[in-house]
Amino acid sequence: MIAGEPSVLDAALLESSTSSLTPDMLDALRAVHDPEYPDISIVDLGLVETVIALDGQVTVGLIPTFSGCPALAMIADDVRAAVESVDRVVSCQVEWLPSPVWAPERMSQTARKQLESYTVVLRGRDGSLRCPVCGSSDVNEQSMAGPTRCRSVSWCDSCRNPVEVMR
Amino acid sequence: MRTLADAPAGGRSWAGLDDFQAFIDAGGMVEPGDDMPVEYRDEVFRFIEFHANSELMGGLTERDWIPHAPGLRLKQIFLAKTQDEIGHAHLLYMVAADMGVKTRTEMLEDLFVGRSRFHNVFHYQAVTWADQVAIAFLVDAAAFASQRAVFAECTYGPYKRILKRIVSEEGFHMRHGEEMLLRLATGTPTQHDMFQAALDRWWWPAVQLFGPDSPPGDTDPLIRWKIKSKRNEELRAAYVQKYVPLLQSYGFEIPDPELHQDADGTWVPGEIDWEPLKATMRQGGPDSARRIKTAADNWADTAWVREALA
Repeated sequence: MIAGEPSVLDAALLESSTSSLTPDMLDALRAVHDPEYPDISIVDLGLVETVIALDGQVTVGLIPTFSGCPALAMIADDVRAAVESVDRVVSCQVEWLPSPVWAPERMSQTARKQLESYTVVLRGRDGSLRCPVCGSSDVNEQSMAGPTRCRSVSWCDSCRNPVEVMR
Repeated sequence: MRTLADAPAGGRSWAGLDDFQAFIDAGGMVEPGDDMPVEYRDEVFRFIEFHANSELMGGLTERDWIPHAPGLRLKQIFLAKTQDEIGHAHLLYMVAADMGVKTRTEMLEDLFVGRSRFHNVFHYQAVTWADQVAIAFLVDAAAFASQRAVFAECTYGPYKRILKRIVSEEGFHMRHGEEMLLRLATGTPTQHDMFQAALDRWWWPAVQLFGPDSPPGDTDPLIRWKIKSKRNEELRAAYVQKYVPLLQSYGFEIPDPELHQDADGTWVPGEIDWEPLKATMRQGGPDSARRIKTAADNWADTAWVREALA
């Protein structure tokens, strides 16, 4: 399932025959945020893949943006705590799924806009880049790695700001 | 709090410092394309250079502990934190170099010969693993508080944009620090003693990270031009107020015999000896020479990479 708008993702998860996501659980998952970006929801980032509930035992299947991401344990802890606070949920188990592989397309427009407010940007489908600060396309890569493994560093020659690009 | 809502203007100029001050006081944000007063440019540049140097030196300290961190998960966390700090230094050096005062190479070379400064806390030695936990819990928290106070105002646009990311990413480091501290605090008596010994070494450097009291009124140009939103003594007092009861609740003792609560419950530290801080500013801290040499060697050892990429 590839997520576009958050509403599409929610609807797809809510209606999927293998999913037992209730609106309460979705709200709980929505309230779990990226540990590095405290206002961006993991649902909007496209990390939630499956939710299966059986007699109050919930299993949430997540996919990591990068398999070596150091935030995985923290995200799993937060998801468990959030889901276990939902009515009628007895316990929650989190699994990191080996597939599908996360891709930037899984992010919702909301998450993209939020990341842009941090000067972090995604390439367009044609590989193009737009500076999230001034809108210029005069953005040039400086180094393949930045502060995290999932981002490279570019420089906008128009407004002279560093821009981080999700890889 | 100043916001970054608008796309950067740039291309502005001011008749003089009074005119510029009026712009700052009215909530203005300076951008690289502006013809900013040279006094402002130099102060902001020095501040960003100091911050960049501190991120780099901090990253190298974290790196030292990757092989020694107990367990794969903590090694992974230290790897990520090292990359985070070096990455922050990278972004900050880009913005600093763009200001046209020094090139990136000049900044690094000044750092490696001891001509420029970095945070006092990176002039000390981390003796045991518990020291590294104290750094993650206490020192990162102090640095975080001071960065947050810069982010709150910060009139230089590109710096404020980087700080927004740094501040949110440091919040993630805080959680790791707390997690590691909890393990030692609730561990064996030996682990508890280890952390107490580390606390004895790191409490004062952490408190001194905020610096001596700011000069009176708005004589500090960084306050006047709203790079800093709070005075050093305000930040220091808030830090002591938060961390004293927290550390005591885990059963640790603050290494300050004169520490006491005043009538309204505020924690008041004993008189601070600023000599150790001054020594670090002259590169004369207990571990300054070794740390600077390690960083310089690292730079020299990687010369071939820069040549290959040039």
